[in-house]
Amino acid sequence: MSHFLATDLEIDSAMTLNQVKVGCDVKIRVLSGPGCERLRDLGFCEQLQVRKLAGGRNLICSICGTRMAISRELAEQVLVSPIG
Amino acid sequence: MNQASAPPSTIALIGNPNAGKTTLFNALTGANQRVGNYAGVTVEIKSGETYTPHGHKLRVWDLPGCYSLRANSPDEKIALDALTGAIPGESKPDLVVCVVDASNLERHLQLALQVLEIGIPCILALNMVDVAERAGLRLDPAKLSEELGIPVVPMQANAKRGIIELKQALRFPFPTAAEPRWIDSSENPAASRRALIIRLCDLAARRPDSHQQTRSDQIDAILLHPVYGWIALLGIFFTLFWAIFSFAQIPMGWIESGQRSFAAWINTTMSEGDFRSLVVDGVIGGVGGVLTFLPQIGLLFFFIGLLESSGYMARAAYLMDSVMAKVGLSGKAFLPLFSSYACAIPGIMATRTIDSAKERLVTIFIAPWMSCSARLPVYFLIVPLLLHEHEGTWKQALVLFGIYALGTSAAFLVAKLLRGRLGKDSSPGHFLLELPPYRKPQWNYIFRHVFERSFSFVKKAGTLILGLSILLWALSTYPKSATGDAADALTHSAMGRIGAIIEPAVKPLGFDGRIGTAILTSFAAREVFVSSMAILYRVEETHDPEATRKLLRDRLASASWPDGRRIFTPLSLVSLLVFFIYAMQCLPTTAVVARESGSWKWALGQFLFMTGFAYAAALVIFQVGKLIGY
Repeated sequence: MSHFLATDLEIDSAMTLNQVKVGCDVKIRVLSGPGCERLRDLGFCEQLQVRKLAGGRNLICSICGTRMAISRELAEQVLVSPIG
Repeated sequence: MNQASAPPSTIALIGNPNAGKTTLFNALTGANQRVGNYAGVTVEIKSGETYTPHGHKLRVWDLPGCYSLRANSPDEKIALDALTGAIPGESKPDLVVCVVDASNLERHLQLALQVLEIGIPCILALNMVDVAERAGLRLDPAKLSEELGIPVVPMQANAKRGIIELKQALRFPFPTAAEPRWIDSSENPAASRRALIIRLCDLAARRPDSHQQTRSDQIDAILLHPVYGWIALLGIFFTLFWAIFSFAQIPMGWIESGQRSFAAWINTTMSEGDFRSLVVDGVIGGVGGVLTFLPQIGLLFFFIGLLESSGYMARAAYLMDSVMAKVGLSGKAFLPLFSSYACAIPGIMATRTIDSAKERLVTIFIAPWMSCSARLPVYFLIVPLLLHEHEGTWKQALVLFGIYALGTSAAFLVAKLLRGRLGKDSSPGHFLLELPPYRKPQWNYIFRHVFERSFSFVKKAGTLILGLSILLWALSTYPKSATGDAADALTHSAMGRIGAIIEPAVKPLGFDGRIGTAILTSFAAREVFVSSMAILYRVEETHDPEATRKLLRDRLASASWPDGRRIFTPLSLVSLLVFFIYAMQCLPTTAVVARESGSWKWALGQFLFMTGFAYAAALVIFQVGKLIGY
C-alpha cells in the first residue's frame, strides 16, 4: 500500500509527540511501543492529523475533533512529522 | 416463527465511552439511568425493555463503554463477555446497536468494525449528528450504510431525534450479520480495519481540514492552565462544599418543622405509656434525627452529577493526575475517590474504569476513608459540643474541613504504602483520558439521579435505622427496674448491662459504656450513632430536632463518670471524632468491596485494618493527650 511506503521514506524526519511544540499540527507516521494498541483504539492511528494543545506531565491533543489527555510515556510512542 | 410466544429478543447497546449509549438507553426504555459526561458512568450492564413499532417486546442492554473488544479493563471485559454470550445464564444478544459519535467517526468506527467482525447482526446509530454538523462535518449515512452493509440511523438521542427511525430499524426480522469484507484475505486485520476507516471517513464524513478552536478549547485554556486551572479547581470544590452546608439549612428547616408537628400530633392523640414512648423516643427520635440530613446528601449527589454531566469531572481528573501520582495512583482514581465523599458504594463501583488492577485495588481500599455523608450526622452532633457553640458557624466549617483533610491525607498515605508493597503492574498502565466537550448539563437525569439516591437513603432510614431504633429502645427500656428513677432504669436494662461489658474496652479511648454501645450499633450504619445516643441518654423529644440535638448536646456536656469527672472533655470528643473518621462502619460497603475486589479476604482485611486503625488512633490521642495534661 502506498502510504506505508511513504512512511518508510519520512521516518527519518519523524519526531515524537513530546517534541512537538504546543499549537502545532502534525501527522502521525508510526506507532511503536507497548501502548500502541491502546493508542489506536483511542484514535491515534497512522495518517491522522493531530494538534498538540498543551504539554506538561500529560499532553492534551486534538485528534479527529476529540480532546485527549495522554501521558508522556504514551506520547513517546507516537512518531509524527510536520504537515508540509 | 411465532414471535408473540418466544422470549423477547435482546438488543445490546455498545459504543465508546461518551458516545451517548446511556442517553439512548433511557430514550428507548424510559428508564432513568444516570448520564454523565465522563467516561465510565455505566460500569455494569443495565437492562431495560422497549417495544418495536409492531408492539413486540425487546430487552435492551446498556453495556459499559469501551474503546475496543480486547478487554483492557474490567468494564470492557463485561462488554465483551456480554457480546460473546460468555455471561453465565445469558445468551448472545440477537442484535447489537453500535452507538457512535458522528463527530468522531475515525475513532468510534474502530469498535463498530470489531463488533461486526464477531458476526452479530448490527445497526449503526450515528449519534450526535448535531455536534458533527456544527463542527462542519459533511455526513453521508446512506453511503456509510452501503459501505458497511448494515443499517445506519442518524440521530440525536438527547433531543430524542431519530428514536422513531431507530425503532423502525429494530423491526423483525432483524438484519443479518454483515460480512466483514475487510478482514478477508488480510494478514493484518488491524491495518486493514484502519485503512477502511480512513476510506469511510473520506467518503461519508468529510472533515474540514483545519483544526477548529472550539468554545471548549477556550474554556480549557483557563480551566486546564497550570496556575489558573488549580485556582479554578480549588474554587469550584470549595464553593461546592460551602454550598452543600449552607443551602441544605433551608430544606433541613422544613423537615424539622414537619417532624415537630408530627410528634406534637402523636403526643396529643396517644395516651401515655410504653407505646407512645416507643413512637416518640424510639421512632421519631431515632429515624427523624437521621432524616434531617437528607438535603445535604441530595445536594452532594446533585453537585457530583452536575460536574460529571457538564464535562468538568474529566478536567479535574486531568489536573489531579499529578497529585495522585505522588501516591502511586492516577487521575482516573479521582472520580471514584471524590464520589466516595458522598457514598463509598458508587465510588467503589466507579473504580472499574481504572485499567491497572493494582491501582484499582488500592483505590477500593482507601475509598471508605473519604468522609462519606453518613458520617455527617455524627460530626454535626460532636463538633458544636467541642466548640461550645450553636450549629453553623465558620469555626465549625473549619473543623469540618480539618476532618475531611485528616481522613483524606491518611488515605493517601496508606495508598502510597500499599502501592509500594503491591509492586509494579505486569503491563504498564498509562494515563489516557478523553476530555469531552463541555455540554449543557442534562438536568432531567441529574434530578432523577438525586431523587433515586435520596430515596435509597430514606429507605435505609425507614428499614435498617427504624429497626435498630426500635431494638435499641426496647433494649434500653426492658427489663424495667423496680424504682422509677431514669438512671437506675438504664443500668438495669439489657442495654445498660451490655454497656457495662463493653466499657473496659472503650474506657482507654475516653468513652463510657453508653458511647461504647452507641458505637457498637453504628457498625450497622454510622448515622445510627446519633439516634442511639439520643435513646441511650434519654433525651426527651422536644418536637424540634434541632432543639433535640441541642438538648442531647446539653445532656452530653453534663454527663459524668461515677466519680464526678465529665465524660465529654474536649479530648474524649476529639478521640470520638477520630474514631468515626477512620472506622469502617458500613456493612453494605464491605459487601460491595468483597464483590468488586473478588475476595472476601480483601474486604475483611480492609474492615479489620480500618477499625483497628480507628481504635489505635483514638487510643493514642486520648492517652497521649491525657499525659500532656489535657
